[in-house]
Amino acid sequence: MTAPPLIPRATARAFVAVCAVLAALPALDLSLYNHNLLTRAYILIAAALAWNWMGGFVGQVSFGHAATFGVGGFVAARLILDLHLPPQLCWLAGALAAGVFALGAHPLLRLRGPYFSIATIGVGEASRVVFTYWEKFTGGATGLSLPIDADFQYQLYWWALGLAAAVAAASVVIRRSSFGLRLLAIKADVEAAADVGISATLYQDLIFMLSGAVVGLCGGISASYASFIEPGDTFGFERSIGFVLMAVIGGIGTALGPVLGAAVFVLVDTTLLASYPELHLGLYGVLLIAIILFEPLGLTGLGRRVMGRVARRARGPKPAEGRA
Amino acid sequence: MALLQTRGLTRRFGGLTALDSVDLALGAGEILGVIGPNGAGKTTLFSLIAGSLRPTAGEILLDGQPVTRLAAHRRVRAGIVRTHQIVRPFANLTVFENVVVAAMHAHGGVAGHARDRAADVLELVGLADRYDQSPGSLTLAGRKRLELARALATGPRVLMLDEVVAGVNPAEALAFAQLIRRVRDGRGVSVVMTEHVMPAVMSLSDRIIVLEHGKRIAEGAPRDVVSDPRVIAAYLGSEAPAAGEAVP
Repeated sequence: MTAPPLIPRATARAFVAVCAVLAALPALDLSLYNHNLLTRAYILIAAALAWNWMGGFVGQVSFGHAATFGVGGFVAARLILDLHLPPQLCWLAGALAAGVFALGAHPLLRLRGPYFSIATIGVGEASRVVFTYWEKFTGGATGLSLPIDADFQYQLYWWALGLAAAVAAASVVIRRSSFGLRLLAIKADVEAAADVGISATLYQDLIFMLSGAVVGLCGGISASYASFIEPGDTFGFERSIGFVLMAVIGGIGTALGPVLGAAVFVLVDTTLLASYPELHLGLYGVLLIAIILFEPLGLTGLGRRVMGRVARRARGPKPAEGRA
Repeated sequence: MALLQTRGLTRRFGGLTALDSVDLALGAGEILGVIGPNGAGKTTLFSLIAGSLRPTAGEILLDGQPVTRLAAHRRVRAGIVRTHQIVRPFANLTVFENVVVAAMHAHGGVAGHARDRAADVLELVGLADRYDQSPGSLTLAGRKRLELARALATGPRVLMLDEVVAGVNPAEALAFAQLIRRVRDGRGVSVVMTEHVMPAVMSLSDRIIVLEHGKRIAEGAPRDVVSDPRVIAAYLGSEAPAAGEAVP
C-alpha cells in the first residue's frame, strides 16, 4: 500500500497551464472591463476557498467571515495611509490581524451546527457596528480613500491571481493531507474524533485562524484594488452570505468547488445586478433550493455526475462509481 | 501495580448518582468484565475513564499517574481508548481512512507509519478487503470490527469495549471473542469490556465486577460472580430465586 501523491501530476500540469493562460491574458487582449471582472473574481475565489476550509472541511458554517475580510482590509488600509509601507507588507499585517481576530472567536467553537452559525452572525454584525462607529480608525461611514496609483492597481490582477492560485493549491493539499483527514473526522463526529486522539479544539482553531487570515488578505487586496474601503460594505452581512453562497453553489467541502461558485457569483452579480438589481437575489434563492434538493455538492457534484455518466457510456456497461 | 486504577470514582447528573464511589483495578494483560443491569452505570464508567465525561469525585490512574484531568484526546495518547456501544464511524471517510486517522495519533506517528499500522490492524480484524468502501456499506458486525480497528490503531494499552458483541449473530460473537483474546495475547493489550451477552463476557473475562445503581456490588472470577446472591438479586429482583435457577 503506497501513499498516493498529494496532487496527481496531470492535475498539477493542468492547474499550472490554466494559471499561465490567465496570467498571460492582459498581455494579449483583455478589455479593461474584463480585467476588472477577473481581478475581482480572483479575490473572491481565494476568499470562498478559504471560507470552505472552515465551512466545508470542518463543517462549521460561518456567516461572519466578512468580519475577517474587514479586519484584514482596514488594518492594511490604515498601515498604507499612516506608515506608507509597501502594500504587500500591509496586506500581510492585515491577514495576521484577521487571523488573530478569527482566533478570538475561539469560544464559538464550543458550538456546532446551526448554533455556531447563528453565533457567527452575531460576531459579524457586532464587528460591523463597532468598526462603523470607530471613526478614528475606519473613517466611519464615509470610509477611507487609499493612495493607490493606476499602474499598481493594474498589476493587482497578477497579485490577485497569484493569491487565488496559491489558495487553490493549498485547498487541495489540505484536503488530501493528514491534516485534512483530521478535519473531516472532526466534521463527521467531534466526540468520536477525540476518542481516537484528535484534538478538535486545536485543529478547529488552526483552520479558523488560517481561513480568517486568508480572507483578511483578500480584504487588504480588495481595498487596495478599489482604492477605497468602507465598513458598511466591507463588514456587510451580504458579503458573509456571499462566501457561503459561493461555496455552496460550487460544492461545499470539495477542494476546488468554491472556484466555480465564485466564478458564477461574479458573473451573476455583474450581468444581472446591473440590469435587474432585484433578480439576482431571487436567482440565488432558486439555486440554493435546487442544490439542496438535488445535488448537495453543487456544481462539482453535478460535474462529477455528468463525467461519471460520460465515462460509463464510453467504457460500456461496466459501472464506475466515483467517491464523493 | 495495576495498569489502570480508579479510586472512589463518582459521577452525579443532577440528583442522580450514575456512578457511586467505584474502585477498580486492571492488571497488565488482564481482561476485566463489567456487567450489570441496564442503567447500572457501565457506560458512565467508560466515559469517565475515556475522558468524555468529567468525574464529580474520584481519581483515575494509569501506571500510578493520575489522568483524571486529561482531555479525551490526550488519554488516547496516554494509551486509553474506548469503543462505542452504538458505532460511530466517520461516515465521510473510507474504511481505510477511518483507521489511518486514528493511527496518526499513535504516539505522534508519522503519516507513512500510520498507513502501515492501519493496514496491519485492518488485516487483524478481517476488513483487509474493504479499504475503499464507505463505512455505511458494511454490515453491523463489519462496522463493529471497524470500531475495534480504529481503537486498536491508536496503539492502546487499555482497550475499553462497550458492548462490542451486542447485536451481532452468535457466529460473529464467537469470532469477536476470539479476536479480543488475540488482541490481548498477541499485543499485550489490557481489556475492560461491558457486555450483555453473558456467554461472551463469561468466557473471555479473567475477572468480573458487577455494578448496580452505580455501585460495585460484587467482584471475582466469572463463575463465582454469577452465583453471588447479590448479583442474582440485581438481575432478577430481590425475591430469593429458587435453588438452581438459571442466571440470564
